[in-house]
Amino acid sequence: MDGYFYAVLIVGLLSTIICVVAGIMKKTPNDVTILSVAAVELVLLVYLVGSIVRVAMGEKIAGEPWEFWGYIITALIIPIAAVYWSILERTRWSNFVMGAVGVTALVMAARMNQIWY
Amino acid sequence: MTVETTGKKSPDTRNTGPGRLLIAVYAVFAISATARAGYQIATKFADAPLAHILSAFAALVYIVATISLAKPGRTWFKVSLAAVLVEMVGVLVVGAVSLFDPVAFPHDTVWSLFGRGYGFVPLILPVLGLLWLYRRRPARERRG
Repeated sequence: MDGYFYAVLIVGLLSTIICVVAGIMKKTPNDVTILSVAAVELVLLVYLVGSIVRVAMGEKIAGEPWEFWGYIITALIIPIAAVYWSILERTRWSNFVMGAVGVTALVMAARMNQIWY
Repeated sequence: MTVETTGKKSPDTRNTGPGRLLIAVYAVFAISATARAGYQIATKFADAPLAHILSAFAALVYIVATISLAKPGRTWFKVSLAAVLVEMVGVLVVGAVSLFDPVAFPHDTVWSLFGRGYGFVPLILPVLGLLWLYRRRPARERRG
């Protein structure tokens, strides 16, 4: 597990906790919950750019490269889809939807690390 | 639009409130199961054809469940119900078979060991799905 994984772990769990707590408190999606999901997206973007740089510098992905890229691109789409899906209906349940982003990103980052090393 | 269903009756949809979370989780499973099945079939189908066909079938069930839950109306309700029931039977049967006969399922599918590889979410999901469908079942039609 590398720094990228731990970054996704920390930001993802934080985002999930923020969104789930907001959902339990019967809040509708607000700046804090949406920005926490945006933070997950940002970390994943850094992961993507960092991975491109590493490959460009000649580092080899141990597993199937296209599987790795498939994972990271899917992971990048999920936060955007969740936020979009949430603002279409601004109920507290949309916070739970966004809460699912962090843990999903975390699981996918763990898998991406397995493929890379 | 739905003048006849005013009052306390909720409209014949399942894509609001908790249903949105359910659809979101189903969508994640649809994507991951499809990707995984596609990957398995493309790279190592011959190793365990049965397990990989099962993976593809599970992926299909998740796709149908996601779409049907998002759609309004009685027909889509029935499709959802069928998909969630198939999912429940699938996870129970495959989970049990993979427990007693690991040789038949050397490769993990979404439903192997009751979805242990996916935090048992595949086992919980159909239960929540059925509860949600029950709460949002369409009003009974008049007979005749």
